[in-house]
Amino acid sequence: MIEVKNISKKYGRKKVLNGVSFTANKGEITSLIGINGVGKTTILNAIMALTPVNSGEILINNEKINKASYEKITFIPDAITMLPQMTIAEAMQFMQDFYESWNQERATELLGFFKLKESNKISSLSKGNTAKVNLLLGLALDVDFLLMDEPFSGIDIFSREQIAEVFTSHLIEDRGVIITTHEINDIEHLIDKVILLDEGTVIKEFNTEEVRENEGKSVIDVMREVYRT
Amino acid sequence: MKVNFNNRDPVYVQVVRHFKEQIATGTLEPGQEIPSRRELANKLKINPNTAQRAYKEMEEAGLIHTERNLPSKITRDEKVLGAVREELIEQAVDSFVTSIRSINVPLDEIVGLLQDKYQKESKE
Amino acid sequence: MNRFLKLVNFELGRFMKIYLALIGITIISQIAGVIIKSNSYVERANEAIYEDLIPKEDFFATEGLMSMLHVLRSVWFMGPIALCIAALIFYVFFIWYRDWFGKNTFIYRLLMLPTARIQIFLSKAVSILLMVFGLVAIQLILLPIESVILKWIVPLDYRIDMTVGEIIQNFRELQMLIPSTFIEFVLYYGAGMMAVFIIFTAILFERSFRLKGILFGAIFVGLAVLVFFSPILIMEIMQTYYLYPIEIFILEIILGLVVIGASIWTSHFLLKKKITV
Repeated sequence: MIEVKNISKKYGRKKVLNGVSFTANKGEITSLIGINGVGKTTILNAIMALTPVNSGEILINNEKINKASYEKITFIPDAITMLPQMTIAEAMQFMQDFYESWNQERATELLGFFKLKESNKISSLSKGNTAKVNLLLGLALDVDFLLMDEPFSGIDIFSREQIAEVFTSHLIEDRGVIITTHEINDIEHLIDKVILLDEGTVIKEFNTEEVRENEGKSVIDVMREVYRT
Repeated sequence: MKVNFNNRDPVYVQVVRHFKEQIATGTLEPGQEIPSRRELANKLKINPNTAQRAYKEMEEAGLIHTERNLPSKITRDEKVLGAVREELIEQAVDSFVTSIRSINVPLDEIVGLLQDKYQKESKE
Repeated sequence: MNRFLKLVNFELGRFMKIYLALIGITIISQIAGVIIKSNSYVERANEAIYEDLIPKEDFFATEGLMSMLHVLRSVWFMGPIALCIAALIFYVFFIWYRDWFGKNTFIYRLLMLPTARIQIFLSKAVSILLMVFGLVAIQLILLPIESVILKWIVPLDYRIDMTVGEIIQNFRELQMLIPSTFIEFVLYYGAGMMAVFIIFTAILFERSFRLKGILFGAIFVGLAVLVFFSPILIMEIMQTYYLYPIEIFILEIILGLVVIGASIWTSHFLLKKKITV
């Protein structure tokens, strides 16, 4: 379980996060949704200790993040985390060199799934394919938790469809996923839990099936209620 | 398998309904094996947890049964299968009646119209 | 291969193209320099002696005999060395900033490696050190080769032959790069390494606190310099020279180690707690 406890973060005088708390469970897809602001990405960065927070605490399986945590949790930012001059094969080799949790078998399977060519240079790839390589590098790690920052933004519809398929496949296994997005059309039926953010705070947290079952509302209905008042 | 889900009903309920329709129309036969929850999630593009939930509901309703590690199968229980058919018919009639009521049409008028339409459509 | 060595290997690989280009430029320029300088000397000598009929002894008295020292003072020789030094100084900064800039965000990957983050810092420092040693080694190999080329071109009675040791001893700039005693080696390269560590820490301050970090970084550099030179400064201010040179030397080594330790500890802290992508 990932527990985010009351974290706050300022950039200069601007408060980006203001007492954010939520939990994300293994085996569930949790979606951080915010229609504006940079808070979502900052939360993911903070979970991965890629940026400090001013107050609050984050626990991953009851532990503060440490170097060993990076074999248990990984982050797929919205830009690729490898050097553009590397080929896909070199990027995969890099991952294999440094991570014990790297699963070469799954990496090969993902190459096929995304129809990527190993010998291609990252700098030569289309936006959609770059996003797929980025996803591959994260998905091929045998980690418990996977954080993804806007995996659907700025890429073509077919790449989006293909990436959405990953969520329903065995490639996700029983991992916990946190995904940020500002648009949920692609994933409305895929997510278990929604955390709505505004002005750096969590304004609503709900389970998608429960809200449909008990209130007969779609995710967008809830968002409309929350953001338009 | 392609299902258009609406966004306001629980997805697992929609999956169960989809199975019931297939059972009622005979697309799924008694005793037939059904996909694993993972396969189903993949086919329907839904969350595996939702597929799991749908199977659990169907299991509890006796629509499917699972023997330990084997794939789940549609029940052979005639009573349950019959009930599925009845339930679907009832649901369809219910929604039909609700929409007819809302435009204040007397029953006699409808029965005649219904017969005409139904026969015409089956001829086409 | 453990992860630290892999990191060093990776860092070296990233600069390899430019590094090899630098080596190429050095080799070509220095050897061209030897050939050009030697030929022009022989030409001038022959012209003076056989056409202007100046006695050999007079020519050599004014011009001096040809030796490697003539080559060393030319831009052909010192130019590429200066270029390499400038490139490496530039790379001390770029080795960090390249990870943050550009469309890719490699710093995410580095910080998410399942290794202590200080290893990133140390691997970058070791890479710089290895690249410096590599260039110095190339220079050591080049010097005897260049001497041989000079011997081919310049006749025996026109030249003074020098061993590599003699060449270095007679040329201050080279002495800095290739010290002749172990103590000097420790002193020069230790000070160099210390400077790299201090700059790295200052960069990490900037990367952690951005604008404010530049100030913190500058303060850190100031403090480090102050601590390191404190014995000399104190003696200058007090006008009392109560330490023997050997004592100053030992004190400086200790202070150097203190500064390096402080730099590594501070960087460790910044990388762990304050760094931001």
